[in-house]
Amino acid sequence: MVVSESLFYVVAAAALVLGNGLAVSGASENSKVKVWPMPASVSYGNAHLYLAGDFGLSSNHDSQILKDAFDRMLAVIKLDHVIDANFSAFDRSSLLQGLHIVVSSPNEELQYGTDESYKLMVPSPEKPGYAHLEAKTVYGALHGLQTFSQLCYFSITRRVLEVHMSPWTIIDQPRFSYRGLLIDTSRHYLPMTVIKKVIDSMSYAKLIHNLSLSRYLHTLNCGMVLIHPQSDIQRPMQLKFYAQKRGISVLAEIDVPGHALSWGVGYPSLWPSKNCQQPLDVSNEFTFKVIDGILSDFSKIFNFKFVHLGGDEVNTTCWTTTPRISKWLKRHRMNESQAYEYFVLRAQNIALSHGYEIVNWLGVGVAQRVVESGLRCIVSNQDRWYLDHLDTPWQEFYINEPLTNITNSKQQKLVIGGEVCMWGETADGSDIEQTIWPRAAAAAERLWTPFDKLAKNPREATGRLATFRCLLNQRGIAAAPLAGSGRAAPLDPVATDHFKANLGGSDTILPDLRHTRNVSGSGVGYGQGRTSTLEPLFRERESWKLSQLLAGEEGRSTARHRSGLPPAVEKKLPYLKINLAPPPTRIHHPILTTNPRIT
Amino acid sequence: MLHLCEKPHFGCSCLMFLVWGFQLLGLNHGFGVNSGFHLNRSLTYIWPLPYELTSGNETLTVNPALSLSIIGRGGNFKILREGFRRYKKIIFSFTYGVPVSKNSRRIRSIFDISELRIIVNSDSDELKLGVDESYTLFIQKGEGKSIAWETTIEASTIYGALRALETFSQLCAFDYTSKSVQIFRAPWYIKDKPRFAYRGLLLDTSRHHFPVDVIKSIMESMSYAKLVPSYPKLWNGAYSKWERYTVEDVRQIVRFAKTRGIHVMAEVDVPGHAESWGAGYPDLWPHTSCREPLDVTKNFTFELISGILSEIRNIFPFELFHLGGDEVNTDCWNKTPHVKQWLDDKKMEPKDAYKYFVLKAQEIAISKSWTPVNWEETFNAFAKSLNPRTVVHNWLGPGVCPKAVAKGFKCIFSNQRVWYLDHLDVSWEEVYHAEPLEGISNESKKELVIGGEVCMWGETVDTSNVQQTIWPRAAAAAERLWSTEKALSAGNDTILHRLHYFRCLLNRRGVQASPVENYYARQDPGGPGSCYWQ
Repeated sequence: MVVSESLFYVVAAAALVLGNGLAVSGASENSKVKVWPMPASVSYGNAHLYLAGDFGLSSNHDSQILKDAFDRMLAVIKLDHVIDANFSAFDRSSLLQGLHIVVSSPNEELQYGTDESYKLMVPSPEKPGYAHLEAKTVYGALHGLQTFSQLCYFSITRRVLEVHMSPWTIIDQPRFSYRGLLIDTSRHYLPMTVIKKVIDSMSYAKLIHNLSLSRYLHTLNCGMVLIHPQSDIQRPMQLKFYAQKRGISVLAEIDVPGHALSWGVGYPSLWPSKNCQQPLDVSNEFTFKVIDGILSDFSKIFNFKFVHLGGDEVNTTCWTTTPRISKWLKRHRMNESQAYEYFVLRAQNIALSHGYEIVNWLGVGVAQRVVESGLRCIVSNQDRWYLDHLDTPWQEFYINEPLTNITNSKQQKLVIGGEVCMWGETADGSDIEQTIWPRAAAAAERLWTPFDKLAKNPREATGRLATFRCLLNQRGIAAAPLAGSGRAAPLDPVATDHFKANLGGSDTILPDLRHTRNVSGSGVGYGQGRTSTLEPLFRERESWKLSQLLAGEEGRSTARHRSGLPPAVEKKLPYLKINLAPPPTRIHHPILTTNPRIT
Repeated sequence: MLHLCEKPHFGCSCLMFLVWGFQLLGLNHGFGVNSGFHLNRSLTYIWPLPYELTSGNETLTVNPALSLSIIGRGGNFKILREGFRRYKKIIFSFTYGVPVSKNSRRIRSIFDISELRIIVNSDSDELKLGVDESYTLFIQKGEGKSIAWETTIEASTIYGALRALETFSQLCAFDYTSKSVQIFRAPWYIKDKPRFAYRGLLLDTSRHHFPVDVIKSIMESMSYAKLVPSYPKLWNGAYSKWERYTVEDVRQIVRFAKTRGIHVMAEVDVPGHAESWGAGYPDLWPHTSCREPLDVTKNFTFELISGILSEIRNIFPFELFHLGGDEVNTDCWNKTPHVKQWLDDKKMEPKDAYKYFVLKAQEIAISKSWTPVNWEETFNAFAKSLNPRTVVHNWLGPGVCPKAVAKGFKCIFSNQRVWYLDHLDVSWEEVYHAEPLEGISNESKKELVIGGEVCMWGETVDTSNVQQTIWPRAAAAAERLWSTEKALSAGNDTILHRLHYFRCLLNRRGVQASPVENYYARQDPGGPGSCYWQ
C-alpha cells in the first residue's frame, strides 16, 4: 500500500479492474450504472466532478431528519479516508460545492404510502456548482441521498470524492410501497446495537419496513426487543425514532392465538390448561382483555398503520382436549375452525378499535387467491424470500416476482409489496448481517425498480450487486459474498481469480472452488501451509450436515421456518436440496386486510 | 450496558421482555429444561481475569452523569479523556438520559458512584513494547461521613488506565428492574498487570481487502479483550482501484490504534510471498514465468526493500518489524539461468542464498532502527547466523520457543495447531489451554518469550465474517496471555461460563462474536436460545 501509491500497485490494480470488467459485460444498456436498486429512470454523461472540501447541504426545508441524513450520507462516502486533496488546484467548474435539496411537503409523518419519489440532478442545470435533489417528502429526499451516495467514490490517487459519468439525471420512485424485512427478535436476543445496524443497512438498499417480532414463543426463554411497554417503553420508542429518521417504519407482531405460549407464564389462565398451553384460551374473556391491553400500549409506541396479528400455525387440539373449552365450544355451537376464526376476527376488531390495520399470516393461500378475493397482500413466499433458507441463492431472491400470475391491473394494485424474512433460529448478533445481505438487496431491487428495468436474467445484475455488496462492506456491514449459499465464507483470492478468468456465461452460483486448490498452478498466496487442514473441514462440514439431515436428527441445521412443526414434517424440510417434496402446508403468504369481511 | 450480568438468573431479564405481568413471575418458571447457564453473581465476569482481586457483597448504583477527575502528571492526554467518554457510552448505552432535576446535588446523592478518579503517574504517552499496563482499581466506601463511594483508578501510564477503564466497564451492569447501571459485589480491590507484553492478533489484509473502518472495529474489539499488539499484514496486493490503503489511511489506523493502546506492526514478507511486487517491478522476479522468491542476485531487490522500509519507518513507530521469511521454495532460483549462474559463482546452494537474503533484509531493518521479527523457518535453517536481536516467530508447531530461548533469542508463540484462527476446527478449549511457556523451565529464559499471537489468515475471511472467525476464540488466547496461572486457578472451573458471558458482551457492543461451543468456528447458533448458553 504505502509505496504502492506511485509505484507498483497502480499497475496491479489496473489489471484487476480489467478483470472486474468481465464480470459486468453482457449486462443491459445501463451496465455502467452501479446504483442499487436500479432507479426508475437514469441518464448520465461522461464527465468527472469532484466534491469540494466543504461540500455542504442547503435546503428550503429546515428539517433535522434531513440534516442528519445528509451528515450520515457524507460520513459513508468519506468513510474513514483522509481527504486532503489540494482543492485550489482543481478546475472550479468541476467542483461541486454542495447539494441543494427541495422538499415540497413539510409533513414529516411516516406512514404507509408516503410519497417516496425524488429527482436527482448532478450537477444542477441552473446552478452548475451544486447537485440538485427534489422530492415531495423528506423521505423521498432520503432515498435521493442514498442514490447520491452511490454515485460518489473516493479516489485513492487524488484523495478526493469523485462523481463519475456526470451529468446525471435520475428520476425515481418505488414500484411497491411495502418493502419489508422481518427480523425475528424472539428466538435470539438481538442487542440494540445489532438492530440499529440492520436498520442502517436497510436504508442503503431502500427497504423501508421493518417487522420486528415480539414473538412470544414456547420453545425458548430469552428474546424480545419489543417488550412490555410499561416496563420499559423507551427501548422500542428509541428504536422507532432511530428507524424513522432513516425513513423506516417499524411494525410489531403479536401472534395470536398460536405462538403465544409464553404469555401464560405471566397469566396462567391464558393457557387452556397447564399441560396444554396453546393456542390461547378462546373461551376466556380475560384473553381478549390482555390482547386489548397489549395493543393499546403498542398503539402508543407504534403508530404505523399496520399491526401484525400473526395467526399462523395454529393447532387447535388443545381447545378440544380441554374440557372447559370444549364445553364452551359446544355451548356456542362452534367447531375448532370456527373458533379459530372467531378468535382471529375478534383480535382484529380489537386492533381496528385502536386504529390499526391488520396483517395476518395466511397458511396455505397464495397471493393470486388473496387478491382475487379483493384483499390486499404482502408477498414473502418461503421458497424464495426466506433468508433463513441458506440454500436459496440471491438469484432466486431476485427473480421472485410478486405479481406472478396476477394479470388484472386492479388485482395487481392489491399486492402492496413484499417482505423478506429473517427467521431467527440460527441467526443472532454474530451472523445476522451476513445472512440478510446481500440476498435481501436482491429482493429490494425487485420491490423498488420498475418491472421493465429489472434484469431479466439475474446474471446481468451480478456485477452491480457485487458492487453493492462491497459498498455494504465498506460501510461496515458484514454482507456475505454473492457466491455460495447464504452467509458463505468468501473464496480465497486464487480461486476467485480463477473464477473471474472463467466467468464466461455461468449464471448460477459460483462453484465452490475451495476444494480445487491448485487452480492457479502458481501456488502463490498460500501462506503457512494452512490450507491443507482447512479444505477437508469444509467438505466434512457439508457432509456432516447432510448426514444429519438424512438421519433425521433433531433438525439442527434443517432450517425450520417457524417453530411448532410436528417433528415428522420437520424432518422432511429440505435444507440442502435433496429430493424431498416440500411440505404442502408450509407456504406462508401473509395477507393484509382492512376488514376481512368486506371482499 | 451489560444488561444481563447483574441478573441472578438469566431467565429473569429475558422474561422482562417476554411476558406481560412480569410482576407475577417466578424466576424459574418454565425454564428448567434450558437452565444450562445461570448467571452466578458470585462469579467474577471479568475477561481476562485480573492479577489479584477481592470483592464484597454490596450493590452500588452508578450515576449516568458520571464525571471524571484526572490527577497526576499524565492527566493531560486526550487519549485518556476520549477513552473515558467511549467507555461511558458503552456503560450507559442502556440508560436513557440523566434524571432531570434542578438539584444536582440531590441527584448525586441518589447514586452511590458519581465520580471516577483516575491517577496517572507518567507524563509520557509513548507506546512501546512492554509499556507499563498495570493498574489498580478500587471501589470503596468514602472516608468519614460521606455516604458516597469512591472509585479510583491508579496507573503509571495512560495505557494502564485504559485497561482499567475496560475492567470498570465490565463491572458495570444494566439492571432492568431499577433501570440503572449497577455494580455488584462492591467493594472491589483490583490489582492488575499483564502476564506477557506481546499479546497479538495477526490480521491478514493481503488476501481480502478490509475497509479501514473494519480494521478499526477489530482493534476496538481487541481492546475489550486487552489484546495489544496488532499486526495487520498490510502488505501484498491490491484487488481493485478501490481496495487499497493510502499512506494516510495507514497513518490513521496507527493513530487510532494508539488511542486504544494498540501497537501496529507491519510485515514485509521476503523473499517468498512477494510475487505481487513484480507486477510493478518485473525485475524483481527471477523470471516472468517463475516469480518467487524475489531475485536474490540483483542489488535492485535490496534497494527496493530498503526504499520501502525507509518510507514506512515513520508510519509504523512500533519497534518490531516483521520480515516474514516463511515458506520459501527456492526452485525458481535453481531453474532460472542467471540466478543459477550467480549461485554457482558465489558457490552457494539455494539455501545459502535464502540465508543471504534474510540476513541482508535484517540488516536493512536494523539500519532503520527496527528489531526484526522472522518466522521460525529462518531460525530452523540458520539459527547461528541470525542477528541476535531477532525475534523468532513460531508457527509450525510446538517446541520452537524453548529452542529459540535456549539460544538466547526472543520468541513469539503462535503454534498453528492451536492459535491459527483460520483453522476452524480448533475449539476454544484448545486455544485457551495453549501455553506459550510450555517446555521452558529456566526462569530467566521464560522472560525471553515476549508473548504470543493468534493469527487470522485471510483466505476465507473478509468483512462479512472476520469478526466471528476471530471471536470468541481470540478472547481465549487473550486470557492466556494476560492472566497469570495463579489468577486463573481461581477461575478454572468457570472458564466456559465466563467466556459465554464475554461473548455476549461482545455481541452487545456490536462485535459479531460467534457462539462459543460450536464444533467449527464461526458457525451459526444451532437453534433458538439465550446468548448465554450458545
